[in-house]
Amino acid sequence: MIECIKNYWEGSVANKIERSIAELYSDDPECADAAVFGRKTNVDRRGFLSGAGLAAMGAAVGGAIPFAQNMPGGLIPAALAQGQPATPAAGPAAKPEPKTVYLSFPGKNDKLVVIGEKPLVAETPEFLLDDDTTPISKFYIRNNGQIPDTAKEPDKWKISIDGEVNKPLELTLGEIKAKFKSQTRRMVLECGGNGRSFFTPPASGNQWTNGGAGCAEWTGVRLGEVLKLAGVKPSGIYTAHYGSDLHLSGDASKPTLSRGVRMPKAMDPDSMIVWAMNGEPLPNIHGGPVRLIYPGWAGSASHKWVTKITVRDKEHDGPGMTGTSYRLTIKPMVPGDKADPKNFKILESMPVRSIITSPAHGTKIAAGTRELKLRGAAWAGDLAVNKVDISVDFGSTWTQTQLSKPKNRFDWQRFTASVKVPADGYYEIWTRATDSRGSMQPHVAPFWNPSGYGGNPMHRVAVLIG
Amino acid sequence: MIMIFRSFVLALVVYGIAITASAQLAFNPRDETPEEFPSGAGRDETFYACTACHGFKLVAQQGMSRQRWDDTLTWMTEKQGMPELESEERKIILDYLESTFSPKAPAGRSAPNPFLKQ
Ligand code: HEC
Repeated sequence: MIECIKNYWEGSVANKIERSIAELYSDDPECADAAVFGRKTNVDRRGFLSGAGLAAMGAAVGGAIPFAQNMPGGLIPAALAQGQPATPAAGPAAKPEPKTVYLSFPGKNDKLVVIGEKPLVAETPEFLLDDDTTPISKFYIRNNGQIPDTAKEPDKWKISIDGEVNKPLELTLGEIKAKFKSQTRRMVLECGGNGRSFFTPPASGNQWTNGGAGCAEWTGVRLGEVLKLAGVKPSGIYTAHYGSDLHLSGDASKPTLSRGVRMPKAMDPDSMIVWAMNGEPLPNIHGGPVRLIYPGWAGSASHKWVTKITVRDKEHDGPGMTGTSYRLTIKPMVPGDKADPKNFKILESMPVRSIITSPAHGTKIAAGTRELKLRGAAWAGDLAVNKVDISVDFGSTWTQTQLSKPKNRFDWQRFTASVKVPADGYYEIWTRATDSRGSMQPHVAPFWNPSGYGGNPMHRVAVLIG
Repeated sequence: MIMIFRSFVLALVVYGIAITASAQLAFNPRDETPEEFPSGAGRDETFYACTACHGFKLVAQQGMSRQRWDDTLTWMTEKQGMPELESEERKIILDYLESTFSPKAPAGRSAPNPFLKQ
């Protein structure tokens, strides 16, 4: 405790407070509380702020904190802790200010945040997910390899089905469109690593906040119908997908990614071969002319630029299926510890998540405002969302939101709420959804795993009234 | 007649847009330089060893222990096609990664406080 306070003051330079606070809290949150704000954590886990500490925390967040007495001990205020992924600064000598890089890509909203340019990965800040149907311009981007050139003749694109089938097939997209009945569904597509940046210690991979998700209208045919035409043998229990994007190393013999799903998911009427998004031809950057969509499951299964589906007689073992990739722990492990490869099982359905889409994090609201109107979205992988609650007093009291019904299975559910606040000042809006099996979003990213899957803590948005 | 004419013009306009859009679709990542990243012994060696396939930003957004960095290098060589590193070079790179991108420099955690003037 003493050591931590000493380090803080030695490293403290007024304009580095954000970096220092984040680091300090990641070491020992309760000690950081004591050091930075003179806050002691009570036995009931509520932090106690003395008058001077309260003033210091108010100064750090930029306004008085009406519900300060409710803040859990060791909690970093969202205003200091949250934001889009940034390159971390290192050591005491490093520059503290994180740089947010915005996307510049034809047809894409310039507020998408770049997580990496090579491969190109960009997420949608929560406030941009305010539409019922996510426009293509706002849809997140995830690539694992090099981006292929746009197909010149989409209808001649070939997809083959082989492996444990009676009749291997090769069909063009044109033939698929002609042979099978098409359907359109509004469904969530979500990156398996969504929420990864919330893990402590950091999990490895692209540091998504909540923006690796979107909900679009997908048009295509049932994958199951195509598989039935090929005749899946009783031994065919798993799929393996391949696409045309080149591995980052340029080695054409290496599949960039090759994931698969259990046969019941492949046969689900909402698992599709898709060629249109929001009524437009599927854009190249989203895997056009044709991709797979397995709604509710880790996005990487929904193969972009799909060229081949091999039916296998065991769980697929392509790149992205083994080690700790797209895998969760069987038995919970010690965060940050060495992983035992035998203790992992494949990630399938995504967990329940909710986000506030309005107001945006960091919104300043007119002085005297005593009612906050909120909007958001919630979804839960294979399941539905039963309820969404929000709190503006650090979780002391919760208000149930008005939750809409999904348009079809796998659609997200929009919610609205209106809450009263007692005074001007700094507030955090917290949201937590509960899925149809009763699982509720936790306070922190649960069940740490090295590659950071399943990170679905409550979303927190900081606002300042006055 | 008027209807036909209108849809012909419309088709031209739509076609025109489609052409410009597809011509622009390629995305060229910005060139990174080692200087953009935290200084320290081994920075340049690490930068050049790690940017043949992906941006250094993928490396710099992580915060890992030496053990986990070591596992990552093994994964890069065994599965991703990174050339085997000489033991001396591997040590230089690991030293830089461990001291610069440790779990204490939390990845993607801090952002400017929206309510304070920077
Ligand atoms: C021969 C190509 C190649 C080289 C060289 C290379 N990598 Fe990678 N690396 C990859 C590929 C491919 C991925 C997976 C990218 C994806 O799926 O987004 C990757 C991913 C990563 C990731 C993300 C891991 C995760 O959990 O998702 C890290 C960290 C990383 N590399 C570190 C390094 C470091 C450090 C070096 C240099 C010592 C390096 N790489 C050199 C090919 C390479």
